[in-house]
Amino acid sequence: MVSKKAADKKPENLPVEDAAHPLELEASDPKSGGELVRVDREKESAAERTKRFERDALQYMNQLYAAALRYTRNPDDAQDLVQDTYAKAYTSFHQFEPGTNLKAWLYRVLTTTFINTYRKDQRRPQRADSEIEDWQLADAASHTSDQGKSAEEVALENLPDSDIKRALHEIPEEFRIAVYLADVEGFSYKEIAEIVGVPAGTVMSRLHRGRKQLRDKLTEYARELGYVKGGKP
Amino acid sequence: MTPISCEVCQEWLVPFFDNQIEDSAVFNEIAFHLQDCADCRAQLEFERRTVEVIRALLTRSCCETAPTNLQERVAHQLHLLQLQQLAGFTQTEIIRQYRRTEITIDGETQIEIETSHEIRRDFPLA
Repeated sequence: MVSKKAADKKPENLPVEDAAHPLELEASDPKSGGELVRVDREKESAAERTKRFERDALQYMNQLYAAALRYTRNPDDAQDLVQDTYAKAYTSFHQFEPGTNLKAWLYRVLTTTFINTYRKDQRRPQRADSEIEDWQLADAASHTSDQGKSAEEVALENLPDSDIKRALHEIPEEFRIAVYLADVEGFSYKEIAEIVGVPAGTVMSRLHRGRKQLRDKLTEYARELGYVKGGKP
Repeated sequence: MTPISCEVCQEWLVPFFDNQIEDSAVFNEIAFHLQDCADCRAQLEFERRTVEVIRALLTRSCCETAPTNLQERVAHQLHLLQLQQLAGFTQTEIIRQYRRTEITIDGETQIEIETSHEIRRDFPLA
């Protein structure tokens, strides 16, 4: 009797958070390094709060910088973005609920700042083509499913870092951010939905399309370098 | 139990291997279908490997360290913001409204100006 369930539900009906609501992320996941100390924000002095901020938030600077490089695609803007992010995070730190996921909260400040400030100044890249779901990847069966690595996988692994960043920078911004947050930072769909401010179903769609485009680009580069032979994969 | 179709199964493959299906009934249906369907298993395997390759490549190449210069900028800025906070300093906007009354009697003009309203707005430091 459960059988109709998956068919009735579309993947976009995954638990969707109201993006307008303040970030209420799950209690921190140990791998994200969130702190678990009880803090009484009512009694905390400004100096104590600053200390807590420095102790807990500054450790993410390298990660935020690497993300900012992907968002802005240039080091000067990335540095400005990280600095602005920390300024905003510091002045609204009293709103952060201690014990929840600080890293996700910082990423939300980073992403919002980027969308509201930096992106306005840039020539807006083409909007990702319609975001309708197209889950089915064509010709899956043509790819190896045995345990060993395919020639293509080996070729991709040989690509220099600069090509990998170039490919990421070339895919549409919405896809790039989703793929980065999921596949580098390991955020869940739900967390990404809250960070970016879109429904979880949209995250899933962007992720799927972004990964596919990224792989296509990488395969193309590998072919140009002669790592992969032949025409269209 | 009517099995779900391949089409439905494939819609769920991405969240399935991303381990993002929270509804266990849905998860089980996908798992059952995969047990019986070689095509969907092949598709799943392909998707999974795509993601693994992408994750490995991105993690390897996107790991820049914040330049010392940036660390100094952030530290300096926090210091300034903290000083302002400790001094209880906030940016305040004061709006005053005045009422001006002009009365002219026999060529003699009397002008009265009084403050009718003062609005103070405190802004947190931006």
